[in-house]
Amino acid sequence: MSTAVSTALPSSAKSRTRVDDLPLLRRGATVARQNGHVVIRHLRDEVILDGAAAQLFGKLEAQLDGKTAIDAIAAKLAEKPARLRALVEQLGKAGVLAFLSSKDDGALMTGVEFYQVHREHCLYWLQDVYRHPLWEKMTTGTASRAQVIGFAFEKYHYIEAAFEHMGIAAANASPEMMPHLARHFIEEYTHGDIYRKGLRSLFPDDVILRSQPLPSTRALVNYLSESAQTGSLSYYAGNELLQMTENTGDDQAGKAVDDFYSAMRKHYPYTDKLIDSFIAHTKADQKLGHADAFLLMCESVPPLTRREVNEALNVAKNMAEHLLLFMDGIDTFYDHFATVPRLPCDPLSE
Amino acid sequence: MTPIQEHYRAKRVYDAKPANGGWELRLADRTVELGSREYDWYQKVTSWLPSVRGIADLSRELGMDEAKVPRFMETLAKSGLLYKADDAPSSMTGLEFHARFSSVLGSWLSEAFSHPFWERMMAGKGSARLFTGWLIELYHYTKNANRHMPLSCAHAHEKPIKQLRAKHYAEEWNHYHYFMKSLKALGFTEPDIAASVPLPMTLALSNFMRQAAREDVLAYSICSAVLEGTTTDRTTYNPYYEKSAELYGIPRDAVTPIYQHLDLDVQYQHSDLFQDILKHVPTMSAERASKVLDYGHQLVEHIWLWTDNIEKYYQVESNPMPRHPFDAAVD
Repeated sequence: MSTAVSTALPSSAKSRTRVDDLPLLRRGATVARQNGHVVIRHLRDEVILDGAAAQLFGKLEAQLDGKTAIDAIAAKLAEKPARLRALVEQLGKAGVLAFLSSKDDGALMTGVEFYQVHREHCLYWLQDVYRHPLWEKMTTGTASRAQVIGFAFEKYHYIEAAFEHMGIAAANASPEMMPHLARHFIEEYTHGDIYRKGLRSLFPDDVILRSQPLPSTRALVNYLSESAQTGSLSYYAGNELLQMTENTGDDQAGKAVDDFYSAMRKHYPYTDKLIDSFIAHTKADQKLGHADAFLLMCESVPPLTRREVNEALNVAKNMAEHLLLFMDGIDTFYDHFATVPRLPCDPLSE
Repeated sequence: MTPIQEHYRAKRVYDAKPANGGWELRLADRTVELGSREYDWYQKVTSWLPSVRGIADLSRELGMDEAKVPRFMETLAKSGLLYKADDAPSSMTGLEFHARFSSVLGSWLSEAFSHPFWERMMAGKGSARLFTGWLIELYHYTKNANRHMPLSCAHAHEKPIKQLRAKHYAEEWNHYHYFMKSLKALGFTEPDIAASVPLPMTLALSNFMRQAAREDVLAYSICSAVLEGTTTDRTTYNPYYEKSAELYGIPRDAVTPIYQHLDLDVQYQHSDLFQDILKHVPTMSAERASKVLDYGHQLVEHIWLWTDNIEKYYQVESNPMPRHPFDAAVD
């Protein structure tokens, strides 16, 4: 989303900030200067300042540390507080600036508000996953056989692990989340078999069942299992990020997935049955209406404290990093160690 | 699956490289040389063994008469590249298991540390940032011992093994302070490091140890033994730290605490702990021995990917160092 803040700064707009608010340029925001313009980017938001606004921001930038109140900054810079306040409020509205408070006001966030914040951040965090080079390698036919078959095995292991993390989540569920997590487990625990059916076109059932996931896949599953033990909402906030990659309900996302499968069939004809199983799984998920599950959960939870919000968003962010690790593991590990399927040790194997 | 496929399995090859016009394959106990044609056949055999394809398929791929395939398999088994699943003992004592583990530990460690990162660092193509990133992750890994070591005590059933695991924990629980000292010598503050979060693969390593602790105390102990195996004497770790200090201007004060930590491990004889534990295991079924070995080897693979994750993250100059947890109010 792009916002432009122009030369004319309102000087007497009705203020929404408080005297003790402490403006902070959000961590991770980048500031670039081009031809007199200032471009501030954060997540998917972008603000372009020009003229007086750009000049004022130049003076202000070093003070946006979350430690100094707006009036104190104005005094330090010899600027009118109202003018300064107008700029920081616009930057706050655009999402690049936060306002810390000198007092902990203990404000709560409703579940539905949390759903929106979570969704916005997850869409941003997933960008690196969608940009991972393995996708291009598989669609252009440059991925090796080990990477392609490995991808199918790792997907199988991840989906099959519903037994582990969804079981733990349901068994440790908070009262409001229990019906959702129970339903989710019951709907998902057979889905590993959909992938196993595809793999059986190439490998004996016993080999598939005994095969070992990569450490990176194990990392993803273990992270899900660990978060399932510590908090129902934060666990599902992480799981929802993963679910967002499967929900291909809209036309654009659906077409991208169809194109991916077509390219795989073209370059790797032996994956035909595997791809049938991938598609069967996507359809099974869509039929279950999982796309709405998280919203229903958020609607049912009591208002969240700042700590609960942060816990849940940290799990979601970590999950995005683990998903990237999952992709990276397939790409890198199968490139260096091309053995697939990965069979477990026995007393003579070493 | 054909009877041949059920009968034979492929031995782990730790390295395969071209040599003398053919290929040299390194196993844990020997090196096998194959001509190029035989190496091609060997690769076809090992990918056919766990597949649903029949023997006619393999015979066609090898350009070999079907009747000759079993003899070829036998030859590969005699060379050590294949083994017969039925030859595995149905059980063994704890100390017999330890002897098997000791015979493969060297190969496992060479696999764990075969990541190109080490050569890059030693060749002067790394950076102080990469060295520091590795230290930050070591700090987290060592601090996270508190997430898995006590868990292994909680899930151990036999009193003598519980005791040994608890003693190990008591000796190790606060060793992260050594890495904190190093990081302070590199200019970081204690609150900044203490509030930071590990990379996903660092967290994965401790989550895997937690999984092992819940599964079987021997599965946990073999993982611990693999890690302790890296610190048996100074000659295994000194060259890396010495060379990095020289190449990347790492201050002596940042390296000294690492040596102090490693020397303490040697002093406590932690590398003997696995053997001490296995003395209390009169017998292990083949299934348990397989599972425990498998945990050990998975840990080896974790170390490799851990190194990969560290290199990929810290080589990007713009990535925050150390990493902070997400905070909706400021991020």
